[in-house]
Amino acid sequence: MNRFRLIAAAAAALLLAACGGQGSEEPEAYPSDQIRLIVPYTAGGPTDIAARSLGTFMERSLGQTVVVENMPGASGSTAYQELLSSEPDGYTLSMSALPTAVLNYLTNDVGYTRDDFAPVGVITQVPSALVVPAASPHTDLAGLVAAARSDPALVSVGTPGATNTHAAETRRITQLYDVPLTVVPFNGAQEVFAALLGGNVTAGFVNASQDLMPLLESGQMRVLAVGTEERLPYVDAPTFAEQGFPEITQSTTTFGVVAPAGTPEPVIAKLEETMRAASADPDTRRGLDERYVPEQFLGGADLAALFTETEQTFQEVARGG
Amino acid sequence: MGVLDGITQGFAVALDPVNILYVFLGVLIGTVIGVLPGLGPTATIALLLPLTYEIEPHTAVILLAGIYYGSMYGGTITSVLLRLPGEAASVVTTFDGYEMAKQGRAGPALGVAAIGSFVGGVLAVVGLALLAPPLAALAVSFGPPEYVALAVLGILLVTYLGTGSALKSLAMAALGLLLATVGQDPIAGTTRFTFGQVALFDGLDFVAVAMGLFGVGEILHSLERTEKVQAVTSRIRNIWPSRADLRESAGAIGRGSVLGFLIGVLPGGGGVVSSLASYALEKRRAKDPSRFGRGAIEGVAGPETANNASSTSAFIPLLTLGIPANVVLALIFGALLVQGVTPGPQLIDQHPEIFWGVIASMFVGNLMLLALNIPLVGVFVQILRVRAGILAAFALLVTMAGVFSINNDATDMWVVLAFGLLGWLMKKTGFEPGPLVLAFVLGEILERAFRQTMLISGGSLGVFVTRPISGGILAVTVLIVVISIVTARRRAGVLHRHDVPEPASVEGDR
Repeated sequence: MNRFRLIAAAAAALLLAACGGQGSEEPEAYPSDQIRLIVPYTAGGPTDIAARSLGTFMERSLGQTVVVENMPGASGSTAYQELLSSEPDGYTLSMSALPTAVLNYLTNDVGYTRDDFAPVGVITQVPSALVVPAASPHTDLAGLVAAARSDPALVSVGTPGATNTHAAETRRITQLYDVPLTVVPFNGAQEVFAALLGGNVTAGFVNASQDLMPLLESGQMRVLAVGTEERLPYVDAPTFAEQGFPEITQSTTTFGVVAPAGTPEPVIAKLEETMRAASADPDTRRGLDERYVPEQFLGGADLAALFTETEQTFQEVARGG
Repeated sequence: MGVLDGITQGFAVALDPVNILYVFLGVLIGTVIGVLPGLGPTATIALLLPLTYEIEPHTAVILLAGIYYGSMYGGTITSVLLRLPGEAASVVTTFDGYEMAKQGRAGPALGVAAIGSFVGGVLAVVGLALLAPPLAALAVSFGPPEYVALAVLGILLVTYLGTGSALKSLAMAALGLLLATVGQDPIAGTTRFTFGQVALFDGLDFVAVAMGLFGVGEILHSLERTEKVQAVTSRIRNIWPSRADLRESAGAIGRGSVLGFLIGVLPGGGGVVSSLASYALEKRRAKDPSRFGRGAIEGVAGPETANNASSTSAFIPLLTLGIPANVVLALIFGALLVQGVTPGPQLIDQHPEIFWGVIASMFVGNLMLLALNIPLVGVFVQILRVRAGILAAFALLVTMAGVFSINNDATDMWVVLAFGLLGWLMKKTGFEPGPLVLAFVLGEILERAFRQTMLISGGSLGVFVTRPISGGILAVTVLIVVISIVTARRRAGVLHRHDVPEPASVEGDR
């Protein structure tokens, strides 16, 4: 019995070594254990839903359990700190949301910068939209801008958070184009919607995510501009760029997966490959909401470039407060 | 579609065997997590959410809603028996509920709470069916200035709750407001009093603070006494509320239903403000307000009814506008989104089975809860027979696990312990934790709303009086202050006149 076990173990070891080729390095067998996928936000939110769709695909494709773990708090910093304090072995990954993840370390001392992350790939990109309630007198962006310039205290823009993308991008409009807008931060997009419907803020700058759509379809709100370079197929509105604001294209939220820096290259490559396959899988695409899955898969290098670009864009605003 | 047709269709959905099963499952899970201190509906629903992706959307909401209002029933039990409020809304229940338990009247307290919760829940369901659209309009007309007015009124009521010295209550309310400033500035985003700790960026967690001050503080206090002491010393006299108890609480239940229903519609602090307002209203109306805080049954009946009614009416903004009123409803919103159903103004027309089915299931669920809770009162009361040491250790363990489950963050457990120590010290020095905790909740609302108002109005304070609703609430606030001062003066005058004969009568009694 004992001898048999020994032989079996030796055979298994040999087999493993043969597969790896480069020696007994652990990453060759990756993944040989369950993977933790940290979500920096609460369950039920868009990041959580995306993570669970991706997690299901990864389980099928990698043959290991993927545990989705919600660690909300401090706009993601809690989750990123947890990620960065774990072993860089590919068994702890985190969802990330740009630009918020960058704004975090630009505005506060959270103990990490972009160099601490090893980007894996992008899952979804959710564009932003500037919306007004149906009763608003402003029918287009030009009208709103003219109103703001005529009376600097007139136009208030509700944003889902104080230091998030939309607040930062609204401040950029003011800085770059000299449009006096008052940013009024709320606690989440839902509160912005309530304030818009109640006529308490002039406009709202939010994600054009699933929760906005019913309000647009029912005609309770309309979009004055979308924050992408090209028009969107599912929102009937012009872009900021074509209305004379070419710089206002930085507020799309990019949901991606990151690992701690120092994770072995082959592990990252394997994960990136899995994500590429996930973004082509019809079931996963449906789970993620097809509208938000990028047409061309964006891998680790693209996500890294986005980190750099976002940092450059918002450095000014973040410093200015 | 008329309301009657809708209700008929709703019951057809709710009485489907599968849905009956899920409603039962929901209220059962809700009761259990409500009973376990620290574990709340938010963490539970978040945990169970992925499981609902596989079932029909209306069944999913029926289940999740059941967990939510079921936990409101369950939350009462620990508030009364162990002074452990699991939710902001049940903080006020500890004031008189725990006192009643100490007097051996835990049974009547729990019984009346269950009956009140049932009445409040059912009346709110009727209100939801009949009044949803107009009330939704009221909910959005509540802008930042109105929240400021509401929070100011709430803080005034908080200081009015205490049984001890008004100065101590005020001091604790002030401390609560100060603690609410820990964390990221809601408007500028800079961090305050976080000492560089990322865990403190979002401020102190309410559940951790409340659990520490009330529950752990009480546990430490009870352990200080002899080992043999029971959690509740007096003998448990009767399990059921007497006819007199019911008579005394009937009015409170009626008023609590209406108040809770109306306030619950407001996104944000609905639940807390509703139970707080109900308690204050009952104390105000009472012939002898000094009974409050010493085991007045209306002090349990009113707030418990109000928080249940508010947990039902909180569905109005979600089902009619697509705007969730609190975290739990945001999770339910998420569950529907995943299923491809977007809650909003067209929900009633596009998915009548969800709108009416959920309403009818709430009626069924409340019936089940009443049937579940009344017999269970007898069982739960027996918990008090467990030796204090064992009970304390167990309660502490479950509390810590529950608090950890909220954010998966160990820092929250340190917060519980720190506030437990503070709660124990406060107990020894005669300071009450109630005003602190409630001001802590209201402080966050007050600060954010006040600064939002200032941003929108360009720094003018006039909006608070010129807007009808905020002006109205502030007028009520001023009125309460004036009336209190006048009655206090008058009472002082009366006392003064009777000063001399009174000691004599006391002597005579001996």
